[in-house]
Amino acid sequence: MIRAVERRLRVFAFGGLLSYRALFGWVNPYVFIGVMVIPDLTQIVFFAYLGRATGIGDDTFFLVGNALVAAAIPGLFGMADTISDERRTHTLSLLVVSPASRLSLFLGRALPIALNGVAVSVIAFAGGSLILGVKIPLTAIPALVVVIAVTAFACTGLGLVNASIGLRQRESATISNLIFYFLLLAAGVNVPLALLPDWLATIAQGLPVTHGAEAARELVAGARLADVAGLLGAELLIGAAYALVGLAAIRAFELQARRGASLELA
Amino acid sequence: MRRALRAVVLGGALHFKQESRNPFFLWIVICTPLVYATMAYFLFRGGQDDATLVTASLGSALMGIWSLTTTAAASTLGRQRRVGILELLVAAPTPFWLTIVPITLALAALGVYSLATGLIYVTVLFGVPVTIANPFAFCVSVLPMILSMGMLGFLFCAAFVRFRSSWMVGNLFEFPVWTLSGMLIPIAVLPVWVEPISWFVAPTWGMSALREAALGNASPWDDIGMCIALSVVYAAAGGALLRVFLRSALRRGTLALS
Amino acid sequence: MAPVIEALDLHRTYKTTTGTFRRRSLEVEAVRGVSFEIGEGELFGLLGPNGAGKTTTIKMLITLLIPTAGSARVLGRDVVDHAMWVRQRIGYVFGGDRGLYERLSAWDNLRYFAELYGVEPRRQKARLEELLDLVGLRGRERERVEGYSRGMRQRLHIARGLLHDPPVLFLDEPTLGVDPVGARELRAMISSLKDAGKTVLLTTHYMFEADTLCDRIAVVARGRIVAEGTPRELKASVASGSVVEVEVYGIEDDAVERLRSIEGVTAVTVEPRDHAQVVIVQAAPGHEPAQEVLARLDGVSVGRVSSREPTLEDAYVALVTDAPATQ
Repeated sequence: MIRAVERRLRVFAFGGLLSYRALFGWVNPYVFIGVMVIPDLTQIVFFAYLGRATGIGDDTFFLVGNALVAAAIPGLFGMADTISDERRTHTLSLLVVSPASRLSLFLGRALPIALNGVAVSVIAFAGGSLILGVKIPLTAIPALVVVIAVTAFACTGLGLVNASIGLRQRESATISNLIFYFLLLAAGVNVPLALLPDWLATIAQGLPVTHGAEAARELVAGARLADVAGLLGAELLIGAAYALVGLAAIRAFELQARRGASLELA
Repeated sequence: MRRALRAVVLGGALHFKQESRNPFFLWIVICTPLVYATMAYFLFRGGQDDATLVTASLGSALMGIWSLTTTAAASTLGRQRRVGILELLVAAPTPFWLTIVPITLALAALGVYSLATGLIYVTVLFGVPVTIANPFAFCVSVLPMILSMGMLGFLFCAAFVRFRSSWMVGNLFEFPVWTLSGMLIPIAVLPVWVEPISWFVAPTWGMSALREAALGNASPWDDIGMCIALSVVYAAAGGALLRVFLRSALRRGTLALS
Repeated sequence: MAPVIEALDLHRTYKTTTGTFRRRSLEVEAVRGVSFEIGEGELFGLLGPNGAGKTTTIKMLITLLIPTAGSARVLGRDVVDHAMWVRQRIGYVFGGDRGLYERLSAWDNLRYFAELYGVEPRRQKARLEELLDLVGLRGRERERVEGYSRGMRQRLHIARGLLHDPPVLFLDEPTLGVDPVGARELRAMISSLKDAGKTVLLTTHYMFEADTLCDRIAVVARGRIVAEGTPRELKASVASGSVVEVEVYGIEDDAVERLRSIEGVTAVTVEPRDHAQVVIVQAAPGHEPAQEVLARLDGVSVGRVSSREPTLEDAYVALVTDAPATQ
């Protein structure tokens, strides 16, 4: 039992180390700022001005939504990216043939990227508020970090679903982008839920980020962590539900891929 | 001269064929306009008039084109290298820039899918049949618009060729160009000091030409002229950068490696 | 008659950097002084193991890499100063399944490169058909390359290299990864190129391939040419002399060095075999080193000892393993 746990942890840690290396093999401080921070800041600015142009004119709304998405992307895409990379280098079948726990295998790859995403998100929050002149209460910052982490977790759950699709389908980048766009559109990131058609607003309740973004906005408006506990709980629950679905799907698709010989659809 | 033209037209056509069979690229040019037009539709719900909607549909179409250009054109050399073709292209006796320009142009030309999707989708979604005030000028404007996108992509491709993850560096400019060129956000909303910067972004003029041709408020021909002039400048700058890069790559032996 | 391809003391160094935060720069000398001349209509082979510097040498000759020192001429012109001139007159084909536009048909791939190589527009169609016939892809040319087998891709590569009918061809491991039947077809095709009067530089790490195809061979190891001559000459240089094989159980490096210093010994290699190792000692004609070998192996546990005639493979192995690393 303990050995099994240890083995899982080792797979988890080693995979993490690998993706950490892959991530930071080429990242230096300049690249970090250039490639990770600036795109998020430009995204925040773009949507804030789109908000002004459309007469919604609430910079805080767009700052919070887009800064949070910065934390969400890595967990969402990381694992699917790993799978398609492995497919490209023809190592995917080697991974699948190994007896390692799938959860440790994929989650280990995702973790360093997700943590990095949290850091990027915090910087995006700070930078975006400076550029747009949005005041964030200093006391809200620790609670915001918690919200960011919870949102990143929820997105990692959805990321597992995405990864399972990646096992089955070779155009996983397309699916990843579809999910990303859908979140931008429907998860209360850039369009207030009140402006969405009812059916879309209903779907939004089941998406990651929706509740996290709402919690973050309340925090910026002066609420305390305890006030948004319900929203955070919902975000956590949604993330866990997706994670379960994702793991089950990975198992099922793996079996199917072995039957249908679609693993090496390079 | 005739040879150069042939190289651009034929090379462009073949690369158009190759790239339009890439599902991911097609997806970008088709999906981006859908997403942003939808977003604009929801956000504009307050006071929408036909002109705003037409602009939004054109703007989101151009966003799709630019999106593909940043992700794909800026990393053209990297992609050719990955499939082992870069060396063959360099080893051919055609000047290198003449080999690369058709590739970035072909990618920008995939944007016609964006344009078609954007216009059709907006008609269906908004229920507003998009009327083009000056169809001839509109059709003519499409060409310099594509040219400007392709040449900006070429400039990026040449400028960022030394970055190992040039596609990521390309992504850096996705939102800034969207913001600067008045595709979805009127330039008037931006801070005053931003406007002069947008004058140097060729797609700004391309967007403006298409908008004027569609709405019929002003003549698009000045915009078209600016668009072409800036594209030529981009092409010259890109060509010069590429030359420098190529020499250093042959010297350093980095052509085949990353 | 002036040589068609001429390499004069070519050197090439690569700089690589490693490390994440503290970058260390490392210099790798891939080619350390390679010289040869290839005459018109000759099929010349560069034979050597992976990483010996064959591909780097070819890349310098085809203008893809500027030598760090030395120079090279093709058809009498310097490959650095007259790169465009040279490019128009050479064809380049490499092995493996990369280097093609997967989503385009063979026809489109060829048409594109015909354009890049400035093939007369009016001649293009006929030329493409001619080449498709030559490489046996006629009838499949409208299919996308992604569905092609290794062998078909390789033949397409050769057709691409011949588009502009270049007098000089560089073939870099053209049979890499192709099955035996396909490889045999490719070799027949290569030898027909020679019959058509082309000057060909071929690199390979298959000895028999170099043996059957080439007029002359240069064996490359660690960035240098360690032997050069016709296949017959290379064989002759080792057909005399003798080889002693000694089975040993655990041998130290200094013992190997002791064997090397025996008079008349040209090469000593150690190969693992089952649970033991085999020391292969090659000696020049007129030397019978068996006694001396056993004497110098004093203290080493020795098994079976045998003596045999050397093969071409012995020569090759000896050449590429004993080449001094630095000099």
